[in-house]
Amino acid sequence: MIKRILMKIGLKHTGLLIVAAVTFIFLAVVPASSAFANQPSPTEQLRPTLEKLIAIVKDPELAGEAKKAERRELIMATVVTRFDFNEMSKRVLGPTWEEISDEQRNGFITQMTKLLENNYIGQLENYSGNSVEYVGERIRGDLAQVSTLIENNGSDYPVHYIMSNENGTWMVYDINIEGVSLIRNYRAEFTSILRQRNFEGLMNTLIAKNKSFSEKNN
Amino acid sequence: MKKQLVVILCLVCLAYPQAIMAADNESGYPDLLAEEFIEYEDIDSSEVTIYDPFEPYNRVVFEFNDRLYFYVIKPVKSGYSYVVPVDFRECFGNFFDNIRAPVRIINNLLQGRFGDAGISFSRFLINSTAGVFGFADVAATEYNLQAREADFGQTLGYYGVGEGVYVLWPVFGPSHVRSSVGFVGNVLANPTTHLDMTNGERVLYYGARNINALSLQPAVYEDLKKFSLDPYVAVRQSFYDFRRNVVERAKKDGGE
Repeated sequence: MIKRILMKIGLKHTGLLIVAAVTFIFLAVVPASSAFANQPSPTEQLRPTLEKLIAIVKDPELAGEAKKAERRELIMATVVTRFDFNEMSKRVLGPTWEEISDEQRNGFITQMTKLLENNYIGQLENYSGNSVEYVGERIRGDLAQVSTLIENNGSDYPVHYIMSNENGTWMVYDINIEGVSLIRNYRAEFTSILRQRNFEGLMNTLIAKNKSFSEKNN
Repeated sequence: MKKQLVVILCLVCLAYPQAIMAADNESGYPDLLAEEFIEYEDIDSSEVTIYDPFEPYNRVVFEFNDRLYFYVIKPVKSGYSYVVPVDFRECFGNFFDNIRAPVRIINNLLQGRFGDAGISFSRFLINSTAGVFGFADVAATEYNLQAREADFGQTLGYYGVGEGVYVLWPVFGPSHVRSSVGFVGNVLANPTTHLDMTNGERVLYYGARNINALSLQPAVYEDLKKFSLDPYVAVRQSFYDFRRNVVERAKKDGGE
């Protein structure tokens, strides 16, 4: 028992030490005047957002089918403060992004955001009751990884948030679950579709997919 | 037989101090940023290729598996979850997991993860006795000894064996040549394979094991299908990403 407690403390301290070491390096390397040194860490920024989202999903006043639209609106208003859908859309398309017009890009971002929204809210509603543990953080330049463990029926599932620093705000642009990256997965699908059809064909498939959600929802 | 036991015990003793260190590494989470940097500069070149020359055939199998899932597996799973409380299902899951211990121990050893092999062996001893035939995972709850997963497909990957082409097996699901070979190894190293059972009993045993496991997992396939534009590609990509992650983890932990 004592051993277990000691181990737990040991683990926590290792995490703290790493955070402290990273902070120290940044403080030492980056001049104190730099905006970066005073920024809350990626975890400190992500955590309140996720907690707020879970609170909305769990709120009994917002529960039920009748409040669905209101609930989703609230969720989305929070999600956009932490998730960068433009960056996600760009990464999902890969090289094709460079080949399409601004107008096509905007159309794509709109549809892609809808898809990611439905996907993310779906997951959020499925797993909001499960406990989330923040197990680690990595920062490299403008990129960061916040690692969490989500408990489900006695098993822990590792979920990692990949973020980039945009003027001091850490924004999520990919979610990785046990090695499976959300963005890479969509990119593989889109590449396969683009091989058979052109960009318009992909857009039509995307629009049809998004329609299927609203049909089911209403 | 006695000699083998002595050798195993010696290995466990040797491994024990390392086992403690390995347990301390539990918080070791993968570094996903390394690949991000490659991707950021050149998305094209970082995309590791997947060979799927049998795609047209595989897509037919995909349709078959999809129907099997929605018409047979899912209803059976729902009924089973409804009748059997989750606590019992977790106990059954522990039991099935515990029996497979040789698969983990052998592959922990083959990958040079002697500390993990010691933990896997200790877990097997503790759970088979104090855990009443493995129904309770006492090793994890009382001694903080978490499972150290390892399988033959992972070992092959650890030693640099290529993945080979994508194979979508009817009923068994996504795999590639390397994992399929590994699967045969896993079956051979599983003690239940060597029990005297009729084919009917075997089907019943593995059916129960897999339905039980599925009932405890999130409905990953349903979500994947719901949110993807091409579920066939989504499943394939997820399988490769997942297995590559498993092999990467072995490379990180291996040869300690």
